[in-house]
Amino acid sequence: MTTGKWRRIAVMGVGATLALGTTGCLSSSDGGGSGGVASGDSGDSKVTILGAFGGGEKDAFEASLAAFEEESGISIEYTEDTDFTTTVVARVGAGDAPDIALFPQPGGLLDLSDDMTPLEDVIDLGAIEETLIPGFLESATKDGTVYGAPMRMAVKSIVWYPKSFEDTGFSTEPATYQELISESKDILSDGTTPWCMGWESDQATGWVGTDWLEEMVLRTAGPDVYDQWVSHEIPFNDPQIAEALDAFGEIAKSDLVLGGDKGVLNTNFADAMTPAFGADPKCYLHRQGNFATGFYPEDVQADLDGSVGTFYFPPYEGGYDGSPVLGGGDLAATFNGEDEDTQKVMEFLTSDAFGAEWAQSGGWLSPHATFNASNYADETTRAIAQSAADADVFRFDGSDLMPAEVGSGSFWKEMVKWEGGQSTQDTLDAIEASWPTS
Amino acid sequence: MSIDIEGPTTGSPVVGPDPSREEPRRGGADAKLIIGGLLGMGVTAYLMWTIFLSFGIYPGLFLDNKLIIGVIAIVVGVGGAATLFRFLNMFVEGLPGKASQKAMPYAYLLPGFGLISLVLLYPAVQTVVFSFADADSERWVGFANYTDIFGRQEFRTTIVNNLLWLLIVPAVVVSIGIVVAVLADKLSKRGESVSKSLMFMPMAISFVGASAIWGLVYNYDNPGQDQTGILNALWTTLGGEPQTWLSIDTAKLNSILLMVIVIWLQVGFAMILLSSAIKGVPEDTLEAARIDGASEWQIFWRVVIPQIKGTTITVFITVLIMVMKIFDIVYVLTDGRSNTNVIANLFFFELFKRQNAGTASAIVVVLLVAIIPVLIFQVRHFRREEANS
Repeated sequence: MTTGKWRRIAVMGVGATLALGTTGCLSSSDGGGSGGVASGDSGDSKVTILGAFGGGEKDAFEASLAAFEEESGISIEYTEDTDFTTTVVARVGAGDAPDIALFPQPGGLLDLSDDMTPLEDVIDLGAIEETLIPGFLESATKDGTVYGAPMRMAVKSIVWYPKSFEDTGFSTEPATYQELISESKDILSDGTTPWCMGWESDQATGWVGTDWLEEMVLRTAGPDVYDQWVSHEIPFNDPQIAEALDAFGEIAKSDLVLGGDKGVLNTNFADAMTPAFGADPKCYLHRQGNFATGFYPEDVQADLDGSVGTFYFPPYEGGYDGSPVLGGGDLAATFNGEDEDTQKVMEFLTSDAFGAEWAQSGGWLSPHATFNASNYADETTRAIAQSAADADVFRFDGSDLMPAEVGSGSFWKEMVKWEGGQSTQDTLDAIEASWPTS
Repeated sequence: MSIDIEGPTTGSPVVGPDPSREEPRRGGADAKLIIGGLLGMGVTAYLMWTIFLSFGIYPGLFLDNKLIIGVIAIVVGVGGAATLFRFLNMFVEGLPGKASQKAMPYAYLLPGFGLISLVLLYPAVQTVVFSFADADSERWVGFANYTDIFGRQEFRTTIVNNLLWLLIVPAVVVSIGIVVAVLADKLSKRGESVSKSLMFMPMAISFVGASAIWGLVYNYDNPGQDQTGILNALWTTLGGEPQTWLSIDTAKLNSILLMVIVIWLQVGFAMILLSSAIKGVPEDTLEAARIDGASEWQIFWRVVIPQIKGTTITVFITVLIMVMKIFDIVYVLTDGRSNTNVIANLFFFELFKRQNAGTASAIVVVLLVAIIPVLIFQVRHFRREEANS
């Protein structure tokens, strides 16, 4: 080969890289804010979805879509990303947004709402509003516009008990928190500590306590105060919150919990209910989300219906007049709402028809009250779904919505100190003081 | 080649370059080499920069294939660096005779210096700067971060804890290390190697792994349940109530229990170094002491210890510096609860959980300032050791 040819190639190469470099710098400098154009072209019968869950959940998700894909001729491409929250922001910023994104928390969704298609332009909002558990759409609303709709629900307002509890003759359906307390006292005088509770969770120790306080605020003060509290429209140490925390203290800071405060703070949340199983239960009642089953002993998991029962964490007498549910959910939002295929997929994902296959494989709850409950794998899940369907208001876990300094920092830490003996007022004052000012 | 008149008469004291290498040019500057070198460096650097940028901006050019990008990155990175050095060499050779010889070592040292400045000095300086700025490092706040942290009870407790760690751990590690080394020295050859291996084994365990192991030792189960923690199992067998060991801050018990883990991990390290130092003590000094009628105890304190002082100090300082930065064990086992916090963990919490870069920087600056005297002492000590040997 002649040197002339080599030189020509080299010059061309240099020229090309130079051109690339310079244009690259320019486009990257203004590519940030104005992005948001979905990468998926319209009308190509292909819809891309980005979400956080993988493994078995991904398989179940894809299985729930298979029939729909066949019928509609749309091929759906799901990408999992364990670092979803960061990835979705980066891809939207770079103009490479997926058609649909499944947000595990409403905060991240609303941050990107400028690039999203308002849901009213994509699906029939009125239709899903009727069947959804109230509260979901509000959480994905900004300035009166709804951007996301749920396609999965997690419920936290559940009290679990081992089947052996039914033989004791105590009520498995207390109507109010006060009734629950007086029953707990009876169980204690009967010789068994009523409550199983474990807050220990390595660096996240304390989150179980924050969940409890959120449940109590929803019940004593109601969802409106809850919203104001979470968004810091009222101070964290508002008297209404103190009242809720004191109500929780009737259980957590008494001898109604196994091992007292020491036991609570040194028992891992995953092991909390283990003493309840077996021939000689050490405790009976355990308030935890629907994911708790994953941590139960293997023989319990194998025969869930025969081993555990659940009831709805009851309302507070003299507090909010209704039955609120605390939990979480995955919210679907679209960056490419003009595309007809995307619209169809969104409509299916957010409808009560979605999820039968996923429900059968377990670990999934439909956010629709009208979802066909016979699809759930066991009675226990059906009962949980029913208690959520009966709820008149749903609220997202508040600590997830608060700034990280509080929601996964001081809120946890101060709750641990509270359980260890710090007064209610000192605890709430300290969290209020840690709320970021700007 | 032009003849240098000055060269032979002054008789340059600089040790001549490697004989295999070409004799460096002496005399005036060579403009061609200087310009060529500078230009070459510029073009190479620019090309490398552009190619690396294009990986991110136009991945399509490389067929979106991470493997291809990886290979090209290695080729361009390594090849580019080599080319850069070539042109740098060319540039330096083009300099006038004396300057060329003087600049040559720096030309090869500077990139290394540059890298250290970039990844070590620059962040350190930046941290000091940030410690005077607010949570987002956007506005100056003067000494507010420092008054804030020193005003906090939590920070003062943390400092006290760190001091305790510093006072207890290195001293105990070195003491146990010496005792074990001396005792092992008295064993049979086989017994010595077995016992030393056993002592050394924990060294191979990571801090996080050790925390998991000791977490099981200190585990707490409610009274009436099976005690799965070894310590509580022993304690209840002796008739006590199960204790939440890592929550008991009376007499700093929980902090001391955490220190036990580090001691367990580090004693092997101290023992190995001290053992070889003890073996290095000349036999005749021991003989002389024995002849003079010294007891074994006296020999140990008056003959052996003074002769292994250097190693002892080295081990002590190494452990001391490690303890100053202690983080993993506290993070995994208590995360600073029940007054067990240490500076590094507090810093981590402030930066990554509270996202307050200002106070976090202030905290590490305090740590940095505290560590500097130790470093100076260590460097001096090493210098003395080297001068002695």
